[in-house]
This record gives sequence, structure tokens and C-alpha cells, in this order.
Amino acid sequence: MDPQANQEGELDSWDQQEDPGPGDQDESLQLSDQLTGLNVHATPFVPGTNINAPAFVPSFGSKQSSGSGGDNNDQNNPINEKAEPCETPTSQDESKSTPEAVSSDKSENSANSANSENSDSCCSTPEEPVQENGPDESDKVEEQETEKETPKMIATKKKETKQNLQLEEAEKEFKENVNVVFIGHVDAGKSTIGGHIMYLTGQVDKRTLEKYEREAKEKNRESWYLSWALDTNTEERDKGKTVEVGRAFFETEKKHFTILDAPGHRSFVPNMISGAAQADLAVLVISARKGEFETGFERGGQTREHAMLAKTAGVKHLVVLINKMDDPTVEWSEERYEECQSKLIPFLKKVGFNPKKDIYFIPVSGMTGENLKCRSQSSGAWYKGPALIPYLENLPPLNRSSDGPLIMPVTDKYKDMGTILLGKIESGSISKGQSVILMPNKMPVEILAVISDDDDATVANTGENVKIKVKGVEEDDVLSGFVLCDPVNICHTGRVFDAQIVIIEYKSIICPGFNAVMHIHTCVEEVQIKALLALVDKKSGTRSKQRPRFVKQDQIVIARLETSGVICMETFKDFPQMGRFTLRDEGKTIAIGKVLKLLE
Amino acid sequence: MSASFGGGGDETAADRNVEIWKIKKLIKSLEAARGNGTSMISLIIPPKDQISRVSKMLADEFGTASNIKSRVNRLSVLSAITSVQQRLKLYSKVPPNGLVIYCGTIVTDDGKEKKVNIDFEPFRPINTSLYLCDNKFHTEALTALLADDNKFGFIVMDGNGALFGTLSGNTRDVLHKFTVDLPKKHGRGGQSALRFARLRMEKRHNYVRKVAETAVTLYITNDKANIAGLILAGSADFKTELSQSDMFDPRLQAKVLKLVDVSYGGENGFNQAIELSSEVLANVKFIQEKKLIGKYFDEISQDTGKFCFGVDDTLKGLEMGSVEILIVWENLDIMRYSLKNHQTDEEKILHLTPEQEKDRTYFVNKDTGVELELVDSLPLLEWLANNYKTFGATLEIITDKSQEGSQFCKGFGGIGGILRYRVDFQQLELDDDEFADFDDY
Repeated sequence: MDPQANQEGELDSWDQQEDPGPGDQDESLQLSDQLTGLNVHATPFVPGTNINAPAFVPSFGSKQSSGSGGDNNDQNNPINEKAEPCETPTSQDESKSTPEAVSSDKSENSANSANSENSDSCCSTPEEPVQENGPDESDKVEEQETEKETPKMIATKKKETKQNLQLEEAEKEFKENVNVVFIGHVDAGKSTIGGHIMYLTGQVDKRTLEKYEREAKEKNRESWYLSWALDTNTEERDKGKTVEVGRAFFETEKKHFTILDAPGHRSFVPNMISGAAQADLAVLVISARKGEFETGFERGGQTREHAMLAKTAGVKHLVVLINKMDDPTVEWSEERYEECQSKLIPFLKKVGFNPKKDIYFIPVSGMTGENLKCRSQSSGAWYKGPALIPYLENLPPLNRSSDGPLIMPVTDKYKDMGTILLGKIESGSISKGQSVILMPNKMPVEILAVISDDDDATVANTGENVKIKVKGVEEDDVLSGFVLCDPVNICHTGRVFDAQIVIIEYKSIICPGFNAVMHIHTCVEEVQIKALLALVDKKSGTRSKQRPRFVKQDQIVIARLETSGVICMETFKDFPQMGRFTLRDEGKTIAIGKVLKLLE
Repeated sequence: MSASFGGGGDETAADRNVEIWKIKKLIKSLEAARGNGTSMISLIIPPKDQISRVSKMLADEFGTASNIKSRVNRLSVLSAITSVQQRLKLYSKVPPNGLVIYCGTIVTDDGKEKKVNIDFEPFRPINTSLYLCDNKFHTEALTALLADDNKFGFIVMDGNGALFGTLSGNTRDVLHKFTVDLPKKHGRGGQSALRFARLRMEKRHNYVRKVAETAVTLYITNDKANIAGLILAGSADFKTELSQSDMFDPRLQAKVLKLVDVSYGGENGFNQAIELSSEVLANVKFIQEKKLIGKYFDEISQDTGKFCFGVDDTLKGLEMGSVEILIVWENLDIMRYSLKNHQTDEEKILHLTPEQEKDRTYFVNKDTGVELELVDSLPLLEWLANNYKTFGATLEIITDKSQEGSQFCKGFGGIGGILRYRVDFQQLELDDDEFADFDDY
């Protein structure tokens, strides 16, 4: 199976059959023009069919909550999942095009209107809302800021709670979900920043925070209270060190974020990797405090390792927060900020991030919250860029297509009146009632519920971080690293595979017989090098004819690896998220690599 | 402690290890031996016992044995006892470390009978008195002797499970392993957040209790700790929690040498724990072995040229006298064949892997097609163990249990050496040798 090829193939066919609106911005713009014309005629409907109105504006999902079209969709969805995708193009392109419409952020409105046109063809009644927006629309396409306000205004106008609820639901469902992992050296302030963001976005209310502050004071750990929002275990609170990846959600006007708060301590790097594997975006937190910056950056410091691991895990964009700017040794000094920046850039470049495109620096203070939500007014006035949250919000949408077969690696599981699996949907979408296969044991399971942000949902799309309640498997029979797959298109499993490996750091030589721990997507498995097949020249990329007897640090090699058990994986070419891995031993990251070929 | 098993005067630790390896091999062959009836005698005399007392006992046994009804059995028992008595006469008194005698008629693989009579002084005092007639040799006492008395216990615990292991000499054993399922943090909040927190604490507490109890069953025998020291390893706080817990047996608590931080549980964590506690366990063979191979790898990674690997290179190095330390895997399965061409009276030595042995062309002269006569065959390792001294090298026999050992055996064929000076084997070596090696993959 090669999901990507599939995706492409399917996409093409849809493009032909469907209106190209969601796919192509220009055309959709034109369409929206046409639509505005259409809508003018529809004016009289506005008051009458209000119920549908708000729902349509933000995005497509409203259909499910309202209108006959939505019901159709619901019914169609599961069928589509089972059937060959190409066979049912019309109903599917409705559901599939939706996320794309959201993700192409500029053309959101136009996409909506395009969609509404689509639905228009089947049932003409619920057309009104767009009409109301009609006049605004041209403005909105240009100005993103105002874009989202319209639905709210409408909502307030209606003042009907029911509608409000529907609106919220629809909005949430179709906001782009972005998984952000906080990484960095121990005590850099990852959890504190995470906690502060939650406070600023209203996920933690002031009362709880005051409670934390009081409790923290009792423990003489006053400065830690913010991190307690994410460090929920007693051990974590006692020591002030995150152990397991903390998980939280917050929402902005445009996007929905999942925070993954990774532990910074070197012993817990394995936990951090599992967090990074689910992330779309990494926030590297650096302490600017004198001494702390340096230790985090030395060999063996986690700043270095985390940045590399995040890159290996498939994170393409990195936001670097220079934290603790309020510290007495820093005092919002621009020089210090510049110094940190200049030291970090060459290193991050080496890891593989492009300093111009992939990295963005922001000076912040996790304790006081400056530059997190709002630009700091007084102290750091020299900084002219956006604060963290606005910056994240305005990032271009991630390129995700939610078509393709379902793939969801399981990060974690627990028992709560049934088996609950956690994970990020890497490809495809998942809906309630769907039957799927749990690999590598090929267990058929049924989805009982999809829980996103602690609320029940019916459908979850690519990129969302969800909890899923399943039937047909005991919690004990699931391990992290298992993968939920589409029954028609199950993922590959294997034990022996060829891979290209870059040796990052190892004091001695590595030859066949070498044992290490492999992290691939969310799976952790012991692995042994069976044979070294060829050396790869770093500059020219040519493979040596002779088999090397051993490899040393900084060399690239193609090797045959064998894991101790059967695990799910794909070749890097087919599905990068499940084809890249990290080799670790003795608490250090030794090598990174990608799967070239599955053998057994 | 003076060791002497056929040994000379000035023995180094390395020589001693070779002796130990020889005994190990002997034990293996003795264990495999099976005889007819109950005619196989195992006799162990502890130090400071008297030969005369044992002789008298044997004489009594001889008397009793002559009453055995079965003629075959009676004859073989009587002959075995006589052989033992003859052997005993060679000793005027019991050697300082005691005396071990095995005697009997064993049945070989091809069904032939073979008389075996082995007597030796163990390398360490043996405090067992044993006389047994059975259909097999009893080697338990010797095996116990081999086990290094410095046995170290390891408990590796993390959030996924616990592993109990021991390290003694160069053997690393996993005694027990179990997994647990501890609730992770899920951020499940609301009114039951406290309940979840409490459930979590309880589960963790139970886990610590289970580990503590398992530790007692594994590491305490006869109300005494059976280990010299205990190392606790783990990724989170569990190890500290365990070491301070009241549930942890105080007898074991006293033995705790070190707490080490490892990032993984399971086998990998075990290996890392051994690595991290190497200074505490400096005199354990396993650690020495790791260091030795580490040194060998250093020579390779620094490209000093002072190393060799593979049978041919190593033997060339040995002949040149350039090998300082010879490193051989204990299970090296290469056989050494001495072949003779009876037409020309030429002698030829071959080193073959079990796979190559099947290929008869090795035993035929290429030019004349004459089948070569097999003069002698024995495992290469045994030959090296007998002859290493003549090459001025020290022999280190290693296992593949450690990370380094596993790499050495798999990547370098299990035989190699550290040289005294730089030798360029590439020039000496023919190219097709290299290719032959790659065909293995």
C-alpha cells in the first residue's frame, strides 16, 4: 500500500468531478463572485431559515448539525469509508472537500460559498446565510481579521442558545487543528509557558490558578504554579519536572491548538519523542538566563537533542522562544537576545531547519506572560514582531489532505468504561461506528465514540488529536505503537527492513550486532543491526560498492535492521510519518534514519 | 587464591580465565556424557581431607559393588572403581584446592564405548564431598564453583514494567520480567480528577510493593541475600521510591550499591544499568570484557592499524608475533583441520566454518583431485587455548552478552586481536578473501 500515491490519485479524480473551489483559490474566488450574485436573489430567505445561517458561515460542518444535507452526509460517511473511494464521488467530495476549504485560509469564505453552491444543487433552501454575508465577502477575502467576526455577530443577533451551541460546535469542528509540542532543556520553562497560554486563552480560570499559587507557596515553589496546569501528577509537582507529556487544548479565533508539553529532563527523552511524533509544529523554549542557555546548548544538553528529535519526528516549522527575558541577569536586553539567536541559528541550520523559512524567534517571559498573547509594551519594546499566539494563529495552514486511508498510531490507552485509545490521525478520517483494523495484530475493532477535546464528536479528520473509544479489543492487548487502519487499506508490518541511517553521536564504532532502541512514530522497540550494506557519501550521495565492516560517527550507512517484535511501519517514500525513526542507546540519541524497504 | 589446573607458576588473570574456560568446556562435555547402567563415578574430595580415608571408602564400595547381580553392571562398576583407586594412588595427599575425579565408560555418538578417566585440581578450593555412582557425571559442584561468588543483582523498573537480573562473572541473566499498566496522565479533569489521582497513586504503590516482594523471592534464599550487591535502575522515581520504601526488605536494602538513572526499561535498561554502574562493579568479568572490546573498537575507530580481525588476519598476526591480546568468542564454531596429501606428504591446515565443512572441495587437492587425508581436527578456540602462549599473546575469551561483545561476534566474526604495532594486512591479504566474507550476507 502506498497512501500517498492513493491520495494523489483520488484527489485528481475528485478535482475532475467536483467544482474546483476548495482546491483552487483563484477559481473559488470567481465562484464566490458568481455566488454573491446568486445570493442576492436569495435574500428573502434570511430571516426564515436562520437556523442554518450561522452554521454555514464558519465552514461546512454545520451541515451535520442542521439541514437535510447534513443528515445525508452523516449517512453517507460510513458507507464511503467502506466503499471504494472513487465509486461514490459526489457524496464524498462534500465531506472530503470540507477540511480543505478550511485549510486554505484565505479562501475560506469563498470556499464556503462554493460549498453552499454545491449543496444548493441538492436542496436549495439553506442558501440564505451567505447572502447576508454577501456584501462583506469581498472585504473578508482580503482581511482575515474580520473574517471570523461575522459568524459571531450573526450569532449574537439571533440570541438563540440552541443556535449558539450549534455554531460553536460547527466552528470547533472545522477549525484547523494544530498540534504544538513544547521542547527544550530541563527548566527552560516549557510547562510554565504552556500553563500561561492556557490561562491567557481561558482554559484555566483564575480561581484554579490562585489555588495552584497558594498550594505552590505552601511548598515554597511559588514560581512553579503556572506549570501546574500541565503537570498534574504529584511527583511532577513535587519535583517541578514534567515526566510524561502533558496535553491540553486551546482555541483562538481561527485555529484550534493541542499543546503537548514534553519533558525536558534527559531521562525522559523517550516520552518526549512520543510527544514530538504527534506534533505539526514545535516550540523550542530556550532560557536566556545566564548559564542556563549555555548548559542547554552544550553537548548532552537537551536543546540540541530535542531540536534534532523534533526534526526527525517530522516537525517542519520551529518557533524559538527565548524565555526568561524578565530575569535579573537578562532584563530584556536586546544584546542577549541577539546573542542567543546568533548561537542557535548555525546549529538549527545543521539540524535541517532553514533559518529563513522554518524558524521564528520570539523573546518572551513565561512567568509574566509578555509576548505570549500580546506584545509587551514596556520592557521589550525593541521587539517588533508578533507575539506567540497571534504568530501561531497566522501561520499558513498545514498542507493536509484528509483523504487517503485512515492511519492513526496509538500513543496511549486507558480504560474508562471501555478501551480508550489516544493518538493523532495521520491520514484519513475517523467516524463513529466505523469498523477499523488495529495493526499489527489485525484485530477488527469498532469505533464507539470519537472524543475530541473531552467532547464527543462524530467525525475527526487528519491532524486531529483524539481519544477514541473502541469495541472489540481489551485495553491490555493494545500497546502504544499500534496503528488503527482502514480495513481495505491496512498498513504494513515488519521485522526486518533496510534503512538509511545517519550516525549522530557514538563514541565507538557501530557494526553488525549493535543493539539499540528504535523510536518509530509512537512505537518503541529494541532493534539490532543485522548487516551494513553500503556507505553513502555525504556530499555526492553515492553508495559504496563494498560493504563496510563498521561505521563511525557522522557517517551515513544503509543497513539491515531487525526488531525484536513485529511493528507497523511504512517506507519513508510512501508515508514519511511512519517511515522515519530514531535509534537511542544509553540515554543518548545515536542515529536517525528512514525506512527504505520492508523485507519481512 | 592460587589457581592450578595443569597450570604453571606465574599465572596472570588472563591465563586464569583461560583455565576457567577450559573447565567450563570440560563440564559441558561431562554433562553431555551418558553411560551404561550406574557405572559412572563422580568423586570430589575437599581440601584437607585424607587420601587414605577415601581409599578405604572406595575399598568398601568395591566390596559392596561385587554383590551387584547384573553381570555387565557389576563388571563396569568394579572396573570404574579400580580405575579411580589407581588414580588416587598418583596423589600422596589432597591438593590445596581439593581433588575432582570422573571415571566411567561413556557411550559416544556413534554408539561405541569409551573409557574416560579425568582427574584434576580445581582452580579454587572446592568444599564439597561427593561420591556418586550414576548413569551420568555429576558436575553441579563444579558449576557452582565456576559461578563467580560476586553475584550482583539488578532491578530495572520503569513505568512499563520491571526486570530482575543478575550479573556474575561474564554471565548476565534475566531472572524475571513483568509488565505493569500504570495509568498515565490523561488530563482527565473535572470532579473525578482527585479520584483519578488517588487511583493512580494506589496503582503505583501496588507496583512498588510487587517489585519489592518479587525481589525478596528472587534475591533471598535461606533468609540470606544471595547477591553481593544490588543495583536499582529506573527511569522515573520508582527506584528511589523502592529504595526508601518500608516494603523493601532491609536485608536487600543493605546491599544496595547504587541507584542509576536509565532511560528505558527492559533489556536495554539492564544493559545501560550495567554500563552506568561499571565503577562499582569494576572487578566483574563482564565489565572487564566490555572494556577490553571497547579498547579494541577504539583502535579501529581511531584507525591506528593496531588491530586485526578474521581468522586469516589474526593467525597471520599471531605468526608474526604482533598480537598482544587475542580476543575470541567463546562459542566460535570454526574448526581447525590438519590435512595431509598422502601422495606428496604435504600437510595443509584449514579453518572452516560449519557451512564450509559441508563443501567437500576443501578436502580435495585442486590440482590432482586427490582426496586429502584428515590428520586432525579440533575447534580453533581449543587450539588457540593450547597454543596462545607460544605466540606471546594473551588470550581473552569473551561472550556475546554485552553490547560490545555482540557487535564483536556479529560484525568481526568473533575473532580478532589488538596488536603491538601497526601491520597492514591489506597488503598481505588476497582480494578474494574479502569477497568470500561478503557472500555470507
